[in-house]
Amino acid sequence: MTPSTTARAAELLQEALDAYRDEPGAVEALQRYQRRLAEPLRVAIAGMVKAGKSTLLNAIVGEEIAPTDTGECTRIVTWYRHGHTPRITLYPKAGDPRILPLKRTAGRLAFVLDGARAEDVDRLDVEWPSPALHAMTLIDTPGIASLSQDVSARSSGFLIPGDAPSEADAVIYLMRHMHASDVRFLESFRDDGAARSGTVNAIAVLSRADEVGAGRIDSLISAADIAGRYSQDPNLRKLALGVVPVAGLLAQSARTLRQSDFESLELLARMDRAARERMMLSADRFRRSSDTQGLTEEARASLLERYGLFGIRLAAVLINNGFADPTPLAHELARRSGLNPLLELLDRQFLARAEALKARTAVAAVENLLRSRPRPDTEALAAALERLQAGAHEFRELRLLADLRTGGVDMRAELAAEAERLIGGRGTAVPLRLGLAPDAGAAELAAIARACLARWRVVAANPLIDRSALEACRVVVRSCEGMLADLSGVKVA
Amino acid sequence: MAEAGPARPPAPATAGQLARLVEQGLQLVGTGDRADLSKRLEQALVRLQDPSIRVVVVGEFKQGKSKLINALVNAPVCPVDDDIATSAPTVVRYGEPASAAILVPVADNAGGNPNTIERQPIDLAELPVFVSEQGNPGNRRKVAAAEVCLPRRMLTGGLTIIDTPGVGGMGSAHTLTTLTALPTADAMLLVSDASQEYTEPELRFLRQALRITPSVAAVLSKTDLYPDWRRVEELDREHLKAVAPDIPLFPLSADLRLEASRLQDSELNIESGFPALVAHLRNEIVGKAQRLQRRSVSQDLLSVTGNLRLSLQSELEAMEKPEETPHMVAALEHAKSEADELRKRSARWQLTLSDGINDLIADMEYDLRDRLRRIQREAEAAIDQGDPGPVWPQFSQWLEESVAAAISDTFVWTSERSQWLAAQVAEHFAADEVSLPVLHVADSGDAMDPVDQMPGLDPGRVNPVQKVLIGMRGSYGGVLMFGLLTGIFGMSLINPLSVGAGLLLGRKAYREDREARLKRRQGDAKTLVRRQLDDVTFQVGKQLKDRLRLVQRTIRDHFTGIADEYHRSLADSVSAAQKAANSYAREKEGRIREIKAELHKVDALHRAAEAVAADAAPGARTAAGVA
Repeated sequence: MTPSTTARAAELLQEALDAYRDEPGAVEALQRYQRRLAEPLRVAIAGMVKAGKSTLLNAIVGEEIAPTDTGECTRIVTWYRHGHTPRITLYPKAGDPRILPLKRTAGRLAFVLDGARAEDVDRLDVEWPSPALHAMTLIDTPGIASLSQDVSARSSGFLIPGDAPSEADAVIYLMRHMHASDVRFLESFRDDGAARSGTVNAIAVLSRADEVGAGRIDSLISAADIAGRYSQDPNLRKLALGVVPVAGLLAQSARTLRQSDFESLELLARMDRAARERMMLSADRFRRSSDTQGLTEEARASLLERYGLFGIRLAAVLINNGFADPTPLAHELARRSGLNPLLELLDRQFLARAEALKARTAVAAVENLLRSRPRPDTEALAAALERLQAGAHEFRELRLLADLRTGGVDMRAELAAEAERLIGGRGTAVPLRLGLAPDAGAAELAAIARACLARWRVVAANPLIDRSALEACRVVVRSCEGMLADLSGVKVA
Repeated sequence: MAEAGPARPPAPATAGQLARLVEQGLQLVGTGDRADLSKRLEQALVRLQDPSIRVVVVGEFKQGKSKLINALVNAPVCPVDDDIATSAPTVVRYGEPASAAILVPVADNAGGNPNTIERQPIDLAELPVFVSEQGNPGNRRKVAAAEVCLPRRMLTGGLTIIDTPGVGGMGSAHTLTTLTALPTADAMLLVSDASQEYTEPELRFLRQALRITPSVAAVLSKTDLYPDWRRVEELDREHLKAVAPDIPLFPLSADLRLEASRLQDSELNIESGFPALVAHLRNEIVGKAQRLQRRSVSQDLLSVTGNLRLSLQSELEAMEKPEETPHMVAALEHAKSEADELRKRSARWQLTLSDGINDLIADMEYDLRDRLRRIQREAEAAIDQGDPGPVWPQFSQWLEESVAAAISDTFVWTSERSQWLAAQVAEHFAADEVSLPVLHVADSGDAMDPVDQMPGLDPGRVNPVQKVLIGMRGSYGGVLMFGLLTGIFGMSLINPLSVGAGLLLGRKAYREDREARLKRRQGDAKTLVRRQLDDVTFQVGKQLKDRLRLVQRTIRDHFTGIADEYHRSLADSVSAAQKAANSYAREKEGRIREIKAELHKVDALHRAAEAVAADAAPGARTAAGVA
């Protein structure tokens, strides 16, 4: 809508810079936030150990770059951002950053810390020429509830710093089943953000969904049921915008399906079903078995490692059901893995409001600065901050969106759904808000917007309406007015 | 499996053979005047007839605990699901025919004993309705446990397997129930799946459990699903080694085992990894428990035969060598007075016991208070940070959980200390082997029952009417004050100035009132916390003290009983020797024959008991047992 929120946040940062220009520490922090405002949105991937964070990161990027392993693997917070040439930079806790040699083993990056210990490294920064990283910077974090306490502490310290806004604007939280530590972590992440903005900015992912049903062919249906139950869970509803099941390994491998994989899978698919099932009783049997029509042991081991028993079963069934070429098979596998709903949710919830989320981080930074280092001559800055917080409609929309999502608004279900759409729950473009096709004409858009405005004014005028709903109505009415203003601006131009 | 081992020593005495030995002992004691000895043997017989070796299967949820049990007994007794399945513990034991029952606590209206538990038989197929998360979410039906009896050869040795709800879920209530079930268990199986190495909560649980249960084995489940389970196994072994040196780890696949028994495929069965676990259960856990039992029975028999032999032997000697009788009687009298010493309150073991218990009670009280005070401080700090009203339900839940955790810690600690004390007393009682009484203090299940639920707190919401009233209170004064003041200038009482002042003061009053309310709520909350913790200290302290007194009584009765038996035997021997010295020669001949025959029997029993004892001695069979 109005692009000014980012601009106003930038202005605010500039004002703060002016006010604090004689404090080098504050200046440095503010400049960092200024740069951050211009960068893509930062999305952290967090979760308990071995939840499949790096695997999911690879799936989202569509390339196998993050190293993964059976043992605990990620021990350092690692940033993956877009760059024209691949480059790895190590930021130590003390000292200057240095470039690491670019080394890949079996396609994956291998971080050669040469001499530096994991405890002394603040973060690794990977620049990678991947289109998926254009829109957002992904941050891979070490698992919480790890056996090595300092690894867990590194993750919590990064995501929930306590004394400053979190380095991440939003979080994808991976869990295998809802564990007490999961809820504790999400609560503290929300508290960290909520004290400043009152929004929910986490998406929960039921990861390793194929293992929920022990690798049976209907595993993901079971996983979807469980995810459905979790998303209704009052504890989690408050904390996350949605719960989606994702079979991370399958998603990662489907997006990087190789011709050799496809050929092996095709061979398997041609086998008699009973014989195939007998062979796939266990991972060991599959690797060992002899009657596999020319499939080498290495090929089988690689399939197992890349797809898991569930992926192999699913691929075999799909090939027999008409997905007889690599590309459609890859697409179907990715679709079935649950990656697409996750990407859609990411797009709708995070990327569509990336500007607002980033601006919010900047505002929180200034607020924090004002609180922690009060100065006598900052009244003007405080006033500007207050104006932006109260006036920025995007912030109010974010807050209402969170309220609607968490059931904090007493409203009929269909009204609530419409309100969510109008305030940009599916995307901030005007046609998306109005539920119209993207190429709808300005006149049509204006007519529908006007109708919405009128309808919501009537709703707001109802004297029996609940207080929380009334607040919601006001925000929705304001959104409608904003859209109309935009549309008339288009006409003038 | 291990049965085929060629170097195996002759099979140890079975429970049946042991029971026959005990019955022989009972015959020897006869219905005569040694009721103390026959009572001891009768108790041993009862223990033999109801052997129960409890193995608790624990682990986080969704690790495949229920399926492990199903595969172990090869029957779908525990409900299995993709979502969380088990909500109440299930006990699987031997029984013919197969049957099921649930244990439900009976609400006693008379307010007497709240622990009465009723056993309701149910249909085997109905079991999921009572123990699964689907049929009985969060255990709403308050099922204490379910019991399944199955006619399986594996369970005949008295093996009882207990399925527990997973720990680590929402709230730690399940963790506590599981921990309180452990002290009465003979062994624990910690189940963790092959998807990843141990997590921090799992190892924390393991460390806690190791302090309570003597025998722990780890199971790595679902090896069929994860190609890299060998790596995980390796990592887990390292973690286990860091916790304790000799915890065995069994990688297995329940699915393969079930498939194997469906196809009758023994190769698949071996591949599932179950034979190793079954062998461990049979040789190590059941074997160990049985060895322990054999040892205690043989101790009983040895002590009874020793007592019987003493009087018979002295009577015999007095008859055969009448001239030695005075010496013998003097020696016996001396021994008797020594045994008498042991019975006296001033005996060293008695002093050790009473001093030890007093120390223990003082330490326990200090420990409990210390733990609760730490919680209280934490709670007060939390209350000071904000408004406790809206979060009171969560807050009181947190408080209850941390109190429960603190209490279970104290219980575990007290249990450890009382075991140690018993050993100390035994050492002072006699240098010989003396069997220790069985003590259970660590079960904190009902300790919290007398403590009331945390009372509610005013959530701090003020309805609009109250808000207006509070505001009015302030604004009324403002209107009046300024109205009167401006009245001097000839304005009416209600004029713009006075109304404005009224509004201002009303707002101020409302704000002040809100702060006062917050302060009051914080004060109330602190009082509630303090009162609650006070209640807990009082009730739990009483319970713990009662239990320790019970421990003291058990230990005292146990050792006094033994001292009494000695004394009695010695007294009998003295009188028998004196009687024998005075009896006629003709009678002597018959009596000597009688006594010799009797002694022969007693000696035979003694040798049998000794053989059992040697067989069951710790370390004597371990090499063969593991083979």
